[in-house]
Amino acid sequence: MFTYTLTLLPSMMKGLLTTLGVFFITLILSIPLGIIVSLGRLSKFKLLSKMVEFYIWVMRGTPLMLQIVFIFFGLPIVGITFDRFTAVIIAFVLNYAAYFGEIFRGGIESIDRGQYEAAKVLGLTPYKTFRRIILPQVFKMVIPSVGNEVITLVKDTSLTYIVGIGELLRAGRIASNRDVSLIPLALVGIIYLFLTAIVTGVFNKVEERYSYYE
Amino acid sequence: MKGRNYLLILLLVAISITALTGCSKSTASGQDIFEKVEEQGYIIMGLDDTFAPMGFRDNDGNLVGFDIDLAREVFKRIGFEVKFQPIDWSMKETELNSGNIDLIWNGYSITEERMKKVNFTEPYLKNRQIIITLADSDINSKADLKDKKVAVQNGSSTLDAIYKEPDIVETFQGGEPVLFDTNHEALMDLEAGRVDAVVSDEVLARYYISQKNPDDYKILDEDFGEEEYGIGVRKSDKELLDLLNSTLDEMRKDGSYEAIYEKWFGESN
Repeated sequence: MFTYTLTLLPSMMKGLLTTLGVFFITLILSIPLGIIVSLGRLSKFKLLSKMVEFYIWVMRGTPLMLQIVFIFFGLPIVGITFDRFTAVIIAFVLNYAAYFGEIFRGGIESIDRGQYEAAKVLGLTPYKTFRRIILPQVFKMVIPSVGNEVITLVKDTSLTYIVGIGELLRAGRIASNRDVSLIPLALVGIIYLFLTAIVTGVFNKVEERYSYYE
Repeated sequence: MKGRNYLLILLLVAISITALTGCSKSTASGQDIFEKVEEQGYIIMGLDDTFAPMGFRDNDGNLVGFDIDLAREVFKRIGFEVKFQPIDWSMKETELNSGNIDLIWNGYSITEERMKKVNFTEPYLKNRQIIITLADSDINSKADLKDKKVAVQNGSSTLDAIYKEPDIVETFQGGEPVLFDTNHEALMDLEAGRVDAVVSDEVLARYYISQKNPDDYKILDEDFGEEEYGIGVRKSDKELLDLLNSTLDEMRKDGSYEAIYEKWFGESN
């Protein structure tokens, strides 16, 4: 049994690499985009704010899998073609940026108006106010919610199967069908648990570090 | 201030449009397959790499299987480089018609419904819809399935096949089969004793049983008819279809088909 599990590992590791690739690229791109989305949503300019609201509604209101299918299979009809991995990344980034955007918006809105006024009195430009005063506080506040999303992202990476990308869960299904056994799927479950344990640990550490003034 | 915002939006829209069109290239549909192969250097075969024994991966992640061996030989003879592209099985016709893949070849049963969307080659493998029970079961014929729980894969050609005999389906417990996502799950449920029989592709079922203990299972003599596997190509690729047909024919005649068949299914055809 143990030796059998060992023979599964090489193909699982290959799948895991793809899973991690989707995970990290999505995170790196969607968090900054999320900040931009939250700013757009809070913009005093109505048209922009409404457009961002519409985007968030679509992204949160339809299944991510449908969005992947639409971007990969639907857009070529109007002449826009992406390869599999790119299409998946675009869908994930657009989807997660919407969620992150709403989390950041909540954070930004919870900051007292008085702080903006104080910063103005101190002669800080709006950009400096946001960058130096508001954003650091927002960051502290949103850590738990962001952690939640990130753990969801770990598991959502399995949705890439719809365009045939060989991620971790698919590697498990292949081995399971080949060897007529549930052990590969159990192994996949353990690897996911392991990943979320790491993510949870990292977020606990971050939360600790940012718990000053409390 | 207002004016500046308008400019900003215009700029954003302009950037996103150029970004999108910049990444775009024309789709392959409408283009002749031979030109396409010449241009990209290979033909793309779509398959579900979870489908043992037709096309799946060994422990090192290499694609293996009956269809893989057959395809390698066919394209070696045609003189095309072949690239295997894993796809999700539910998306196969969409993948084909949008030009992401050039053919579907992976235990692809020929059905009338599918013939509306793709062109099939001549069948290259016959497959019965067999009835499997545990070895100690008292089921010995289709009539014995009365009041028994019968499992079938959802969305499969097996499901279509059993409904060609609705009188028998009506005698099942509950008047309909128990549906599972995969044959694998259906067979596991048989093993757990929660269903009494499974109707499945012979190819898949025999592979499953050979991986378990063959003495634990019984395959009934009666079946729910036969189906045939074919290779699916786009409706526009008539020339490719002819080429595939003649190459498979040639392989049957010189015995290389037989050799691959025996490698994967043991008994002779």
